[in-house]
Amino acid sequence: MSPQFVDFDADGQLDVVAGIFDGSPHLSRGSRQGWQKPEQILGRDGARIVLNAFWNFDTKKWDSTHAYDAPGHEGEAHATSTLAFDVDGDGDLDLLLGDHKSGRVFWRRNDGAPGKPAFDLVNQPVTAAGAPIDVQGTVATMRLVDWNGDGKQDLACGSMGGSFGDGDGGGVWVWPNVGDGKVAAWGAPIELIARSKQDHVGDAPARPDAGLYMDFGDVDGDGDLDLLVGAYSHWRASPKPLDAAQQERATALQAALKDCDARFQQVLKEVNDGLGDAAGAARDKLYTERYQARQSDFRAIGVDRSAAQKELDKLVPPRQRKSFVWLYENLAAKKNAAPAK
Amino acid sequence: MRLHVLPLLACAAATAVAQAPQFAPPVRLKAGDAFLGENRLYPSPVLHDLDGDGRVDVVVGDLVGVLTVAPRANAAAGAPAYEPETKVLAADGKQLDFDNW
Repeated sequence: MSPQFVDFDADGQLDVVAGIFDGSPHLSRGSRQGWQKPEQILGRDGARIVLNAFWNFDTKKWDSTHAYDAPGHEGEAHATSTLAFDVDGDGDLDLLLGDHKSGRVFWRRNDGAPGKPAFDLVNQPVTAAGAPIDVQGTVATMRLVDWNGDGKQDLACGSMGGSFGDGDGGGVWVWPNVGDGKVAAWGAPIELIARSKQDHVGDAPARPDAGLYMDFGDVDGDGDLDLLVGAYSHWRASPKPLDAAQQERATALQAALKDCDARFQQVLKEVNDGLGDAAGAARDKLYTERYQARQSDFRAIGVDRSAAQKELDKLVPPRQRKSFVWLYENLAAKKNAAPAK
Repeated sequence: MRLHVLPLLACAAATAVAQAPQFAPPVRLKAGDAFLGENRLYPSPVLHDLDGDGRVDVVVGDLVGVLTVAPRANAAAGAPAYEPETKVLAADGKQLDFDNW
């Protein structure tokens, strides 16, 4: 989730709007007593706003709908980020929805009025420079920022990238608002933070690598916009030289890990092979019984794997993965040529 | 003629800066003695003066759906400093929780 402080219900108090992983935007209304219990933001049909994928609280399973797809834009999008913003300049707050599964951004037009929203039932793709926005590495979060100081709200997106260090990581871009000052329109993106290669070797992390959630502000008070970025960092300590025996042992341990994984898959296959034609609840019950019957096998594999990994980690430093919040200090002011705040 | 050209050059230079921002190498922020957001699931910071003291705090959300705040310390100008993170509370006195799926 990425919280946005905004007066969503136009009562003069700031509220918190946030897209969360269940696939819908939520609202915690601000009041003189404090923040109220978060609620789902609903469309004018009274249903929770979603793109496609959502957690179904009734069935307690992941679900999907295509009821709100714009023609030609059917997909399997999953909204985990949202922004309240008056896209069409009609005086009320529309909703931007970021797709966690792709780089697409959609919006729900508000046909209501301030404090009385009536969100349209179509997820319209947001375009920039004539094509749908496509955030490299899928959308993690979105923010509004007047990056170029022209008085209009630009759209910034941070991306996920390979969350566990797999492949390229995330980056941050801003799409300048090239609209007329009333109706928003976005131009070609400016890259603020390039995607990480997730290949840092050193004793400490060097940058935010995956799942980049950013915000903007003049943190150091020098008159320009700095970036705060929450994310996972991936790094590996510098490897120490191994002698021949150590190298041989490391190779053997890596093979042992693969063997453990193969044994695990074999036991799992045997569990599944015994399910036969059972279906529904009966299948679930049988699966649980068969899985539990093999617990000792799973446990033994786990013990072997853990021991091999622990010994290997002493020879070959493992990849580290930790989350932090980072500050990118903008040097523009120091160069006396800042994009104004 | 030169008077007309100079504003154009200045404009082009400002555009170039906007197109290619320059940042110092990133540094991890601290809240008190701890790294801000460490070990949170997908920490998402937002700058907001939550306590109304005129200083911009860092509110951090996460995948689980809870919010914390690291109040901006009343420190001298320069490197930003933040106090230890605390839970953001709802009106009922419990932690504000967007109660993920």
